[in-house]
Amino acid sequence: MEVRKLQNYINGEWVASESNELEEVRNPAWDKLLCHVPMSTQTEVYRAVQAAKDAFPEWRNTPPVTRCRYLLRLIELMEERFDELSRVQTTEHGKTIDESRGETRRAIEMVEVASGIPSLMQGFNLEDIAVGIDEYAIYQPLGVFCTLAPFNFPFMVPLWYLPFAIACGNTFIVKPSPRAPMSQADLFMLFDEVGLPPGVVNLVNGATDVANNLMEHPDIQGVTFVGSTPVGRIVYRKCGEAGKKVIAQTGAKNFIVIMPDAELDSSMASLMSSFFGNTGQRCLSGANALVVGDDAFYKRFADKFVEAAANIKVGDGLDESVQMGPLQNVASKQRVAGVIERGIKEGAKLALDGRKLNLVGDVPETCFLNPTVFENVTPDMSLAREEIFGPVASLLRAKDLDEAIRIINGIPYGNAASIYTTSGKWARQFQHDVEAGNVGINIGIVAPMSFFPFGGRKDSFFGVTHGQGRDVIRFFTDPKIVIQRWF
Amino acid sequence: MKLNTMAAVMSFVSKIENESAEFYQDYARRYPKTGETFSSFIKENKRFEKVIKQTYFGVITDTIEACYSFEGLDADDYEFVINSAPGTTLADALRMALEMEDKIEKFYLTVAELSYSLMADIPVAFKRVAKKRQDRKFTLQSLLETV
Repeated sequence: MEVRKLQNYINGEWVASESNELEEVRNPAWDKLLCHVPMSTQTEVYRAVQAAKDAFPEWRNTPPVTRCRYLLRLIELMEERFDELSRVQTTEHGKTIDESRGETRRAIEMVEVASGIPSLMQGFNLEDIAVGIDEYAIYQPLGVFCTLAPFNFPFMVPLWYLPFAIACGNTFIVKPSPRAPMSQADLFMLFDEVGLPPGVVNLVNGATDVANNLMEHPDIQGVTFVGSTPVGRIVYRKCGEAGKKVIAQTGAKNFIVIMPDAELDSSMASLMSSFFGNTGQRCLSGANALVVGDDAFYKRFADKFVEAAANIKVGDGLDESVQMGPLQNVASKQRVAGVIERGIKEGAKLALDGRKLNLVGDVPETCFLNPTVFENVTPDMSLAREEIFGPVASLLRAKDLDEAIRIINGIPYGNAASIYTTSGKWARQFQHDVEAGNVGINIGIVAPMSFFPFGGRKDSFFGVTHGQGRDVIRFFTDPKIVIQRWF
Repeated sequence: MKLNTMAAVMSFVSKIENESAEFYQDYARRYPKTGETFSSFIKENKRFEKVIKQTYFGVITDTIEACYSFEGLDADDYEFVINSAPGTTLADALRMALEMEDKIEKFYLTVAELSYSLMADIPVAFKRVAKKRQDRKFTLQSLLETV
């Protein structure tokens, strides 16, 4: 069977890339080649930017209520193809089908919220700032924006931005992750069906070179990025130097505090989902379980946690009995296996070794790891401080909530933090004092809904306004202030 | 067969709703006296499946603990045997239906309980359908008393 080569979508047309440089996209569960993705040329990137730039004047003059009708049609198509879109995500990424369906639903919710743009984009005014003089603010679109997407939520993350950008009247370019570009290609087939004017949305496949070409292009007004902290810093610096707006949502090392009054039995499913959902490859994953309480409570928690992690069924995400899929590629698996090795050398106790594989079905071992749990982890160990992005949990201890918060605030990341407790006082103190952009109270994955901004602080976020919700509307517009007097 | 995930639960919902609909279709043909009641059950089955799936697809997100909520849930506990032998009497068919509905109701109540604190609207949908199955058992019992 011929393996297809993905195309770019530029100016309302599917076009084959002129590039001979191709990368393989493989199904991580079965280690099978799915397609080839081209590393597009600079000329192709510039063509996409030009198409988006040319489309902008007419698009920004299209009434918001008309612009959002395209999004409403897109929602219909996404609902119609819901399961098809979800299966592609599992195939290219490895996540379970439930997780892919969750991703599709989240993506649709982004489009739903963006389709409320006639209300969201409204400005404000004040009559009589001086006698007979009025002042008002109008939010206007700026031009061409782009997003540099990650592999871990290949379908959803571009939609944290794209629908809001175009609803505001901008035009847009997506550079999908070369590791998982298929679901974006499928999304753009829907855009093609929706019939947006040519150039309003564009897709250019590629890797670092394409990203650099986009960031360096003078006609790009702003860039959104989701990925690692080191790359996010580069994106932020480059865009800052070029005077572009930027949202860079980056790495994480999220703590989950378990207080001695936590409801352990009813929390365990939520904790498993937090630490091992999406195979630990998400910026909101729990990484460190920080247990407050005496030895007996700690033991009770650790025993339950390790047992639950050991029982997780690992295999092909399309198998409905499977609870955790593979790492997205073999390099990720090797990297995470290296982290486990380093954790042992640092002196942590390996309570559950995910390198000892126990897989559902006859899938090859290539990209798989089972859940790993370390005990006796201390805050100074790299296990506790560095982002792993894999199914590895570290158990730490703190004598009380004050110490737990000090430990959390002592690491450079500030993406998310959660507390499991039945005490409102502790929950309130945690919410108030912890330096994290997204806080969970008895919630393991603090994923803000599409109508709230996606928080993030310290090394987990670079920018001014955040993705999603009202923040992203501000990002994709600029206030024009008018002061008027009539003689 | 273990039902570890919400996806597996959903597939099992389709299976039991379809199989029970087939049962009612078969016996509605054989015993026209039950035709109206059984036909309404068949329509309901489709609606129940739709309500549950709409709820699932409507609220499933990457935050929901869909893969980890169903510890211990086993399809084998809720499988029902349908005897479609030609000589089956109406009374036997109704007794089978009662047993089948009882298992389906128990399945829905168990899923609602397991997902109660985790799955947003999903346990509500399961409870609603379980209540309807309970009503259906009263109808079947009344029919059985008239045979």
